[in-house]
Amino acid sequence: MTVAPPTAKEGTGGRPVPPSGWLAWVTSTDHKRIGVLTIATSLVLFLVMGTFALTMRAQLAQPEQHLVSTELYNQLFTIHGSGMIYMVVTPFAIGMGVYLVPLQIGAPGIAIPRLTLLGYWLYALGALVMLAGFATPGGAHADGWFSYPPMADSVHSPGAGSDLWIAGVFLATTGTIVMGWAVLWTGLRKRTHGMTMLRLPVFSWSMIATCLMVIGAFPALLAALGLLAVGRANPAIFEANVWNIGYQHLFWFYGHPVVYVMFFPYLAAVSEVLAVFSGRRFFGYRGTVLSLLVFAGLSMSVWGHHMFATGQATNDYYSLTSIALLVPAGVEYFAMIGTILGGRLRLGPPMLFALAFIPQFLIGGLTGIMLGTPVIDYHVTDSYFVVAHLHYVLFAGSAFGLFAAVYFWFPKVTGVMLGDRAGRLHFWLLVIGTNVTFLPMFALGYLGMPRRVSAYASFEGFGWLNLLSSVGAAFLAASVLVFAVNVLWTLRRRTLGSAERAPDDPWGGHTLEWATTSPPPRLNFTPDHPVPPVTSFAPLLDQRQRREEGAAAGDGSRP
Amino acid sequence: MIQRHIFGHVFALEALIAAGVFVVVLALLVYALLRRRAGRQATASRRTERPRLEAYYVAVLTAFGVFLVAWTAWQNHREHHTAERPPVRVDVSSFQWCWTFSYPQAPQRRSASGTCRGDDLPTLVVPTGRPVKLRLTSRDVIHSLWVPELRYKMDAFPDHVNSFTLTLDREGRWMGKCAEFCGLRHHTMHFWIKAVSPEEYHRFLQGQQGGGGQGAAA
Ligand code: HEM
Ligand SMILES: [Cu+2]
Ligand SMILES: [Cu+2]
Repeated sequence: MTVAPPTAKEGTGGRPVPPSGWLAWVTSTDHKRIGVLTIATSLVLFLVMGTFALTMRAQLAQPEQHLVSTELYNQLFTIHGSGMIYMVVTPFAIGMGVYLVPLQIGAPGIAIPRLTLLGYWLYALGALVMLAGFATPGGAHADGWFSYPPMADSVHSPGAGSDLWIAGVFLATTGTIVMGWAVLWTGLRKRTHGMTMLRLPVFSWSMIATCLMVIGAFPALLAALGLLAVGRANPAIFEANVWNIGYQHLFWFYGHPVVYVMFFPYLAAVSEVLAVFSGRRFFGYRGTVLSLLVFAGLSMSVWGHHMFATGQATNDYYSLTSIALLVPAGVEYFAMIGTILGGRLRLGPPMLFALAFIPQFLIGGLTGIMLGTPVIDYHVTDSYFVVAHLHYVLFAGSAFGLFAAVYFWFPKVTGVMLGDRAGRLHFWLLVIGTNVTFLPMFALGYLGMPRRVSAYASFEGFGWLNLLSSVGAAFLAASVLVFAVNVLWTLRRRTLGSAERAPDDPWGGHTLEWATTSPPPRLNFTPDHPVPPVTSFAPLLDQRQRREEGAAAGDGSRP
Repeated sequence: MIQRHIFGHVFALEALIAAGVFVVVLALLVYALLRRRAGRQATASRRTERPRLEAYYVAVLTAFGVFLVAWTAWQNHREHHTAERPPVRVDVSSFQWCWTFSYPQAPQRRSASGTCRGDDLPTLVVPTGRPVKLRLTSRDVIHSLWVPELRYKMDAFPDHVNSFTLTLDREGRWMGKCAEFCGLRHHTMHFWIKAVSPEEYHRFLQGQQGGGGQGAAA
């Protein structure tokens, strides 16, 4: 991405390389630059993985089509799913934390900045390594994002692409874990004076819960990948059932918490947007914080719900823990709905995405409870019903949160406003595209279409629903194109100096990042832009309310 | 078809509840959009929480969760309750990329297999009205036996045998599929399941034609 860096006029960096050159960017220990690098990299990868998805949707638009070979199709769904999860939605979430948490807590920087930068590099390298699989003779890895053995061992997936997949995912996940530690440590140890734990903004709290899951659960993925690597060296290992089922346990011990890593930061971004654009304090703050922590704890006890059909899991137990999740999830909805019900809503682009998140994510959540019911899961697991469910959670949910976050913080990060009209067009195309693409998939799965199939027969009757879904995908493509053009165009105009300049606080924000300049200086706060007094989790709102009250008391005649 | 029956009940109830919750949330959202717009001179509330209301709400959610867990677990047990009568046994062996169905109770071992290419799909023949116990395993990677019409599937692992019991209460022929990604021809790894009358099943086991499929005495 062509993010031209802000010319840092305050020059507190004190480094010999020119501050706006590319070298300064890729070696910077400024958390804001590392955050922007992470976010920009994941957005580029989002476009790549998105084109893979469009290719798949083109193939499935009609029965028995073969635009791409089955070999390639299998690689596409594998790299699309792996890329989106390991290298787009997760790193973007952590990248937001790297950028925002130090600002929100009034810190001049991040804890362990050099390691954070290393984390970014491991992540970027991992993505390249995984994608390099396409350049090998056998093509990229083709066994899905969870790659169960023995299918993923060297007997059944002999290509070097599979080795590259393991290496790439391992590197990227290691990088994510390192960045997760940095964000967690920052949130716990670098809070400014007055910033108690219960004055942390919702977003920062969500990052703490997220990073607890990252460090608690992500190592299980590294272990699973290690097992897979060992099994590729010696395939005899996967002749024993214990290692096959053991892999699934290891994998899903990571695999469920990662779902919440891809959910909390976006939920919290939505919450911040809802509160700011409702012109009020976020409602039910303490309940939300508590529910995030309960959620994070429970998240590590539910993994077996991905294994109901294996006949080798304690289904009653995993069903209990999974359904129990509806309580903390319900609390979060209570808070979001409560916020807007008592608000004074302004419908700028960030707010549109945040509002759409509420019902759309709910569809993913409600169908998740269904999938947590073994009797239902036996039928719909490994079918398009699950594909629909996971895309409602990750795309209709998290991606809407992601876009809300981009529109919301873009002015802060770049110093210019992102186009409003194009933002609205992007939003409406995205709402149409999302629902037209993913709603039919629930029906397809119910009617018997398995996931991960490169083609289906015409007599199966899946034709028109698939066609509908592919038409929706065209709307998604158009929508993301509008977004990309909007961002690039705005950045281009910024370089030319003709973009609309962003004030420090364009939206009437609540949290500390809005008290400093846009973009923030190297050490975040300066004597002219000091850290305001932290009186609650919405210090800027407090300040405004105090001022209003002062004014009201002053003229004494206001109603 | 106890699986289909129970699935139907549980799915209908949960879908109904889900739809109800969705409608309520959507209604609140629309209400907020209509009534709380800045243009409508709404003033933002300063209330930060409603702990009382929230506590009641959590209690209701919890009670509902308890009901859901208990009720669906009960349904799950009902579904897997094995009938008293000794079941008919069929051994299912999956492999890349097709199925073999063997009938250990036949006088001479019978089994049916195929290539799962084009129309060459193997047929699993079962009698109606009697419990049929499928013993499921794999010769290579993990597969999963899914009969959408029966609303049930179970994975087939190498070095492990899974079993489940089916009872079909009417004659007919339905398509079954592999539901776990297993490589290149996963998408064509289909089979037929055919339910026939007990008499016909008896004849089939004796090796007379009537069962259909590529049933060859092995
Ligand atoms: C945030 C964005 C997205 C995420 C996180 C995501 C994630 C995933 C995952 C995890 C899988 C499963 C891969 C596997 O089976 O191993 C998948 C499959 C798939 N996705 Fe996405 N996806 C996203 C966006 C999209 C979009 C926008 C489309 C449509 C244009 C799409 C279409 C598909 C298709 C067609 C499959 C293959 C389903 C199958 O054969 O099982 N995805 N995606
Ligand atoms: Cu899960
Ligand atoms: Cu298969």
